[in-house]
Amino acid sequence: MASSRFRFLVPLILALATACQPSASASPSPSTASSVAPSASAAAEVSYPQTLTDDAGRQVEIPAEPERIVSLAPSNTEIVCALDACDRLVGVTDFDDYPAEVADVAHVVIGAVVDVELVVEADPDLIIAAGNELTPTAVIDQLAELDYPVLVLYPESLEAVLDNVELVGTAINATDAATAVTGDMTQRIAAVREAVAGEPAPRTFYEVGLFEGAIYTAGEDSFLAGMIDTAGGEPITGDPLTTSIALEDLVAADPELILLGDAAYDPSITPESVAVRPGWEGMTAVTTGNVLVMAEDPVITRPGPRIVDGLEAMAAAIHPDAFD
Amino acid sequence: MRASVAARPLVGGPGLGRASLVIGAGIILVVVAALTAIAVGSTEVGLGDAIGILAQRLGIPVTESWAPTAPTILFEVRLPRVLAGIVVGAGLGAAGVVFQALLRNPMADPYVIGAAAGASLGAVLAITAPIILPVLAVGAGTAWLGIGLVQVAAFVGGLGAVAIVLAVARQGGRSSMVTLLLTGYAVSSLLAAGTALLLVNSGRAMSAVVGWLLGSLGGAGYPELAIAAPLVIGGSALLLVQWRTLNLLLLGDEAAAGLGVDLVPARRGLVLLATIVTSAAVALAGTIGFVGLVVPHLVRLVLGPDHRLLLPASCLGGAALLVTADLVARVAGGVPVGVVTALIGAPFFLWLLHRAATASTAP
Repeated sequence: MASSRFRFLVPLILALATACQPSASASPSPSTASSVAPSASAAAEVSYPQTLTDDAGRQVEIPAEPERIVSLAPSNTEIVCALDACDRLVGVTDFDDYPAEVADVAHVVIGAVVDVELVVEADPDLIIAAGNELTPTAVIDQLAELDYPVLVLYPESLEAVLDNVELVGTAINATDAATAVTGDMTQRIAAVREAVAGEPAPRTFYEVGLFEGAIYTAGEDSFLAGMIDTAGGEPITGDPLTTSIALEDLVAADPELILLGDAAYDPSITPESVAVRPGWEGMTAVTTGNVLVMAEDPVITRPGPRIVDGLEAMAAAIHPDAFD
Repeated sequence: MRASVAARPLVGGPGLGRASLVIGAGIILVVVAALTAIAVGSTEVGLGDAIGILAQRLGIPVTESWAPTAPTILFEVRLPRVLAGIVVGAGLGAAGVVFQALLRNPMADPYVIGAAAGASLGAVLAITAPIILPVLAVGAGTAWLGIGLVQVAAFVGGLGAVAIVLAVARQGGRSSMVTLLLTGYAVSSLLAAGTALLLVNSGRAMSAVVGWLLGSLGGAGYPELAIAAPLVIGGSALLLVQWRTLNLLLLGDEAAAGLGVDLVPARRGLVLLATIVTSAAVALAGTIGFVGLVVPHLVRLVLGPDHRLLLPASCLGGAALLVTADLVARVAGGVPVGVVTALIGAPFFLWLLHRAATASTAP
């Protein structure tokens, strides 16, 4: 009986969970992936068995070069494929849509739920999970107890995505490809930083979603807030835990630029619809017409190699003159 | 007290043949449900493979016709879930019978005097504490919670909440069952408010919290089962021994006093046992609704109110229902099992209400 009292909360929670998870909140998990072999000596041979430290601080022993990889998050899939190892994937999620080659790979995450039985059937020799409860801790523990090497990735910053690419590269013996990918990413991130350096940083509000009157955005110190900062904006952030911001706080923060991430999924959200929202009409961004649709939200909120595409799109939106 | 009760066979009576028939049928039902649940899943591993693998493990030579992953799927993924379904379903069925008898209230279920609310608060506290207070997340190991802490917190929370309810309800002398019920409701509401507060502030752990509150048999492994199963099965067996007292409870305090029996100490023991059973079940699988409410009613409709049959039959019925519900949940693609039990349970409960209303207006 008591449990029924929580049930009304479920839709809210599910919406919240999707809204806040991709943009990480300040989390107590250990500093990310400092364990990766120094990239300077990237050509160093990988030898098996090897033990790596993942983003959850777990020691993961990989007995032999993985040939059957299960990815439990679209970002992990993109990392594996960017390392030219798409053909080693034997299990992905229902949400995997990039690159096109993964369309033929069996799904082991149905809806948002990891089907442990399907994972076992895929007979993996490496499982790459997501942190931040995107892959539930209970599932990670269960898979680890079944003696699969489970590598948990949870980047908390742009730079940590690079670390993740190198960590996976080391895990699957693709360090040369990893170095190439991170080299390109590093170069493009540096180009963005250079272009926006010295430009005034507009107060930027990134709308992740609206739900039942609550406004979800980048949490304080989150991945998304770091992206906005790198792209040359001054992020207006929400609560680090819930990633929501009260309307009055948003009005007080007075955004000069509003980026509509949710408009990528909901065509009814437009600069025009924002202008007529009660309380929003006086914001500088609205009065000056600086409300933009961020169609690139899927890559902005997916911490894989294409995160740089998201960063560039964001920089182009924040500083259209300096960066294009 | 027990001697005076035991002196009179309260119902039960001669139908030993019927009893063994009912219990036998119940056991067959559970076995069929369990075998079906072991044979069916998202992969193609079936009962034939299960029998073959089992035979091979017993040293009987069999040609290996199954995939190399089949033994893991059967024994490490499906079997613990099925066993957890049996343990939790049986425990909730037994506890439901006892609380309905104790409180003489058809709306009573194992969660009614606070066990679920307390277990939920305990579990959610254990899941969210390191996130809300990062100070508590000392080192990497505790930040990624071991399942053990959550389950211990749930068990302790369930017992603690019921202890509080009993203590508060006893203020001002002997507590009536109505006082106990209302106190349970009030304390549950208070604890649920605390849980909701933690929930909205749980950040990255929110999906873990929601999953726990909805209930799931997926997280149960053999180590967890090894602790919970003896508590649930032992507790249920101790409850079953007291079937005469449970029958006497149905007559009411005054009638029992008239028979020269003081029910107060007996009642306390029953509440304690039923709470241990409930808390262990909830710690294993979260707050799965409706099993503890609906199964006793269903069994009572078929077998009548005699606890000598009602209690064991509700154990078996609860086990069969939960194993079946979990099978449906798995096949449906990760629907929480609590949702399936509610989908089965809620319409049944409505029908029950309708039937009771029709009966009371009949001439």
